[in-house]
Amino acid sequence: MLTFKLQRWSAIALLVFLTIHMIFMHYVPPFHISFDVVQARLSTPTWKIIDILFLFSVLVHAMAGSYQVITDFESAFNYRKALAWASVIIVILAFVYGAKTIWAFQL
Amino acid sequence: MSNNDTQRTVTVRIQRFNPDVDKKPHMQDYQVKMWPGMTILDALHEIKTHQDGSVTYRRSCRHGICGSCAMHINGRNTLACKTPIINEVKKNNTVTIGPLPYLPVIKDMVVDRTSFWEQYLRVKPWLIPPDDIPEREFRMSQEEVDALHDAEACIMCGACYSSCAVIGLNKKYLGPHALLKAFLRVLDPRDTAPGERLEIVSQADGVARCHTIFNCIDACPKGLNPTQAIETLRKLAQKRQKYEEAKAERQKHLNEPIPS
Ligand code: SF4
Ligand code: FES
Repeated sequence: MLTFKLQRWSAIALLVFLTIHMIFMHYVPPFHISFDVVQARLSTPTWKIIDILFLFSVLVHAMAGSYQVITDFESAFNYRKALAWASVIIVILAFVYGAKTIWAFQL
Repeated sequence: MSNNDTQRTVTVRIQRFNPDVDKKPHMQDYQVKMWPGMTILDALHEIKTHQDGSVTYRRSCRHGICGSCAMHINGRNTLACKTPIINEVKKNNTVTIGPLPYLPVIKDMVVDRTSFWEQYLRVKPWLIPPDDIPEREFRMSQEEVDALHDAEACIMCGACYSSCAVIGLNKKYLGPHALLKAFLRVLDPRDTAPGERLEIVSQADGVARCHTIFNCIDACPKGLNPTQAIETLRKLAQKRQKYEEAKAERQKHLNEPIPS
């Protein structure tokens, strides 16, 4: 049930962050995306925090979904505890790696 | 529909499998002369009585009550005794019949339902009434009856269970039939164990495993809605304690008249 809830909560968070991302990346000037534009945006602490939270929601959502689908198979279901721990470790590693990358941006 | 139409001869294509002699299932065709009002079960009787006594299937009541004649007819799970053959005859004048999918075949249309019953028993499908049973009947309001969405009409045929893709992958999943029964008991004002039941259905092989594919709704010959029952259980499982308290309070007034 926890995985089920995590997937729903992260879906709501994704909806919020994806909307912010789409509006600011694609629907407000300048209407082209270049490295300079992304660099300028990610140099501000607010955008760093927004993108780090966005990354976290994506990772939780993807991992909860994959875990649910994989454990639909009876053979994987029997190892669900080990798979859950593996998923948590993958999320933590990917999050640390991604967050460090976002945090490193400067003008 | 003309009389000629209902009296023509159709091909009944049956999936045959006898584990004693067959390595894998094969299809066998039989010619059956239809008569008005003939059901798929009547056609099977016709074949078994007059053409091939080895064709094997379960049936009992012949009235859509016992649930034993559920099978896979033209790609859909349904009751053979409730299905008029004329509605199933395809353009090539053929009706295809096989056993319920995802279950081990014992012979022809007879499947091993062990996992179906095991999952059913896990939700404790019986009513657990209060200790002080009133002298008169328990009373339920019309809203309480409506909230059950006719779940008590389930005949345990297994059509929903064996149409569920999640069951196809994982026999440890409780399944739509067991969850529908859990829903019935959880919402029943007389039942004293809603918390325990919600705990059972909240486990990893319970309500969270449903992918809302809706096959169970399509398959149910009684027009029931196991998906909606699962959704309700999911919601109630989130507020288990509150729900238990509300139900305990309701049980104090079970033998009082329902306020209009
Ligand atoms: S819910 Fe419908 S399909 Fe499922 S066992 Fe009950 S009657 Fe059969
Ligand atoms: S024979 Fe009883 S439901 Fe069909």
